[in-house]
Amino acid sequence: MGIDLVMIILVLVVGFYMAWNIGANDVSNAMGTSVGSGALTLGKAIFVAAILEFCGAFFLGSSVSETMQKGLVNPTYFAHNPSIFVIGMLSALLATSLWLQLASYFGWPVSTTHAIVGAIVGFGLAAGGSSAIAWGDVGSIALTWVISPVLSGIFSFIIFSILQRKVLYAMNPTYASKKLIPILVGVVLGTFAMSILLGGVHSLKIEFSPLHSLGIAFIIGIIGYLIALIVIRRIHIPETGTLYNKYNLAQQLFSLNKTLKHLQKAKLVAESDTKKEVSDILDSVRLLSASLQEKSGHHKRHSEYETVEKLFSFLQILSACYVAFAHGANDVSNAIGPIAAAMNAIKYKSLSSAANGIPTWLLGFGGLGIVIGLATWGWRVIQTIGRKITELTPTRGFSAEFGAAVTILVASKFGIPISTTHCIVGAVLGVGLAKGISALNLRTIREIVLSWIITIPSAAVTCIIIFYIINALVTL
Amino acid sequence: MLTIAKLFGKSPFSPLQNHMKKVSLCIKKLSEIFQEIENKHFDKIETLVSELSKLEHEADLTKNDIRNHLPKSLFLPITQTQFLELLSIQDSIADKAEEIGNLLLLCPQNSLKVFTTTFQEFFKKNLETFWDARQIVKEFDELLESSFGGIEAEKVKAMVDQTAYREHQADVLKTAVRKEFFGLADTLTPSAFYLWTKLIDEVGSIAHISEKLANQIGVILELK
Repeated sequence: MGIDLVMIILVLVVGFYMAWNIGANDVSNAMGTSVGSGALTLGKAIFVAAILEFCGAFFLGSSVSETMQKGLVNPTYFAHNPSIFVIGMLSALLATSLWLQLASYFGWPVSTTHAIVGAIVGFGLAAGGSSAIAWGDVGSIALTWVISPVLSGIFSFIIFSILQRKVLYAMNPTYASKKLIPILVGVVLGTFAMSILLGGVHSLKIEFSPLHSLGIAFIIGIIGYLIALIVIRRIHIPETGTLYNKYNLAQQLFSLNKTLKHLQKAKLVAESDTKKEVSDILDSVRLLSASLQEKSGHHKRHSEYETVEKLFSFLQILSACYVAFAHGANDVSNAIGPIAAAMNAIKYKSLSSAANGIPTWLLGFGGLGIVIGLATWGWRVIQTIGRKITELTPTRGFSAEFGAAVTILVASKFGIPISTTHCIVGAVLGVGLAKGISALNLRTIREIVLSWIITIPSAAVTCIIIFYIINALVTL
Repeated sequence: MLTIAKLFGKSPFSPLQNHMKKVSLCIKKLSEIFQEIENKHFDKIETLVSELSKLEHEADLTKNDIRNHLPKSLFLPITQTQFLELLSIQDSIADKAEEIGNLLLLCPQNSLKVFTTTFQEFFKKNLETFWDARQIVKEFDELLESSFGGIEAEKVKAMVDQTAYREHQADVLKTAVRKEFFGLADTLTPSAFYLWTKLIDEVGSIAHISEKLANQIGVILELK
């Protein structure tokens, strides 16, 4: 038991470090833009993120954690010698931590998820050979790594296109956003509730039929809509003159300019008296046009769209919360999955079918690790991201975050470990494709694909090396 | 883990506006030169023209800087070709300003009878067209904000129409100037005749290019 206890403590420590790392580095993806756009202060962002990350991890973290625990490498394959499995999980955690340190030192866009999956598969290959690995599941997980960023990109593209049609291209953007925002709040809350309830919440042992969850989600959406409706009515926006008139002015001006053009032509071909008359009319039209131009405030800038962005900043807070929740749900497994696997192996001594399920306290443990990581280091990263990304204004930020969050949460529900960072990158690109962002660095995509290809074998090889070292130490 | 931060490239649109600002400095200098000719302070012209050359060179440097720092991997809401086209049109206005300055330097003083009020009016109309286009370039921030649509696009569309109309006015004046000029042609030396023919064309091209710039921006707009 002595060596097992040491192993368990080691696994817990390294697993906690992994959770800390996730909290320190990746939470910024969710909250950074809200801080950057000024929708949230740093303190509020950390507070909100901490709560939602923890909730996500605690309530929805089990599906993906179970995949990590027994979906990649078949635990029963090691039933004859569970300690090998424990050592394997320990080395997977160590290899991933090591790899992440290296990556963040060099600034590579490495995904924690890819590293841990690569490491676990590496251990499975080394210790159990090719047949210990559930290749079908591993293959489909790898496939979703490509699909998920694309999918969040498509979602975000659609969401931003809707915002363009309904708000940015509207005659009166402020009015349009006041109308659209409550609906969007309802939609966000509804999908949020839907994605949590569908299939039940394992850690609370709640089960709903699909129809029930749809109904509850609908009710929550309606409540959200009504609350947002009341709140948005209370927000006072200093209206810059009569906005509808402002648009009409633009059209009047346009027509007047045309009139001027034609009058000019008439003046050119007209003779004596008519010419004089035409030129008189021309002068008065010109005067009218000039005074209208003055009124339309062609030189008054940054009014309308600034108000729109301000209104959308409330919505961006909501979508950022959604991302934080989804992130907690998906990424806690990176730390917790291997721990659960190792603990079950020791607890049951033989890895039979009895070994399954993620203990609820372990989810809480992982959530706590994320929160501590956020509190001790993550806030710095949020600050940095916030300062660097000023491009992602609330309308853009909302579109990207909502698209990514839906994708991540759906994946979490199905127990698929995906990279949240890559999903957000895909989502931002989606907004960019809809002409939402002034400059996107496409080299990042190449870097991501490259690191994707490099991470998996590297993590696997590192894991195998560590596994052999620890194994040698233990058998000594 | 600053992957997301790395995703955002440096926007080339504010450098583009910066370049247009430098071009507008050239145009301002050119109108100073015209002012001095009108006031018959011919001794000042040479220094002004050399200042103009310097400004044009600065605009050139800015242009090259933007071009050289526009990686192929940068994804913009407009195509890179469209962007570079805008930059190149802007820069050609500065080139024209310098060219006009240099031509004015060569004009013999006794040929200044061509420099009539009509000619000055023609020149001013050309500059007005330029300032219209300059105003449109200033709208780029807002255009990006509205992703090239909506009331902002309508507003810019109206401004483009305005520029086009002014260009037309400049063309009308050009005809008037030519008429006057050919009336005086017999009293001019062949070299002065050649110089002034060229000058009229070059001044007229400012409105021309400004309209082209405005139209090019008009093409980007997402209008229903």
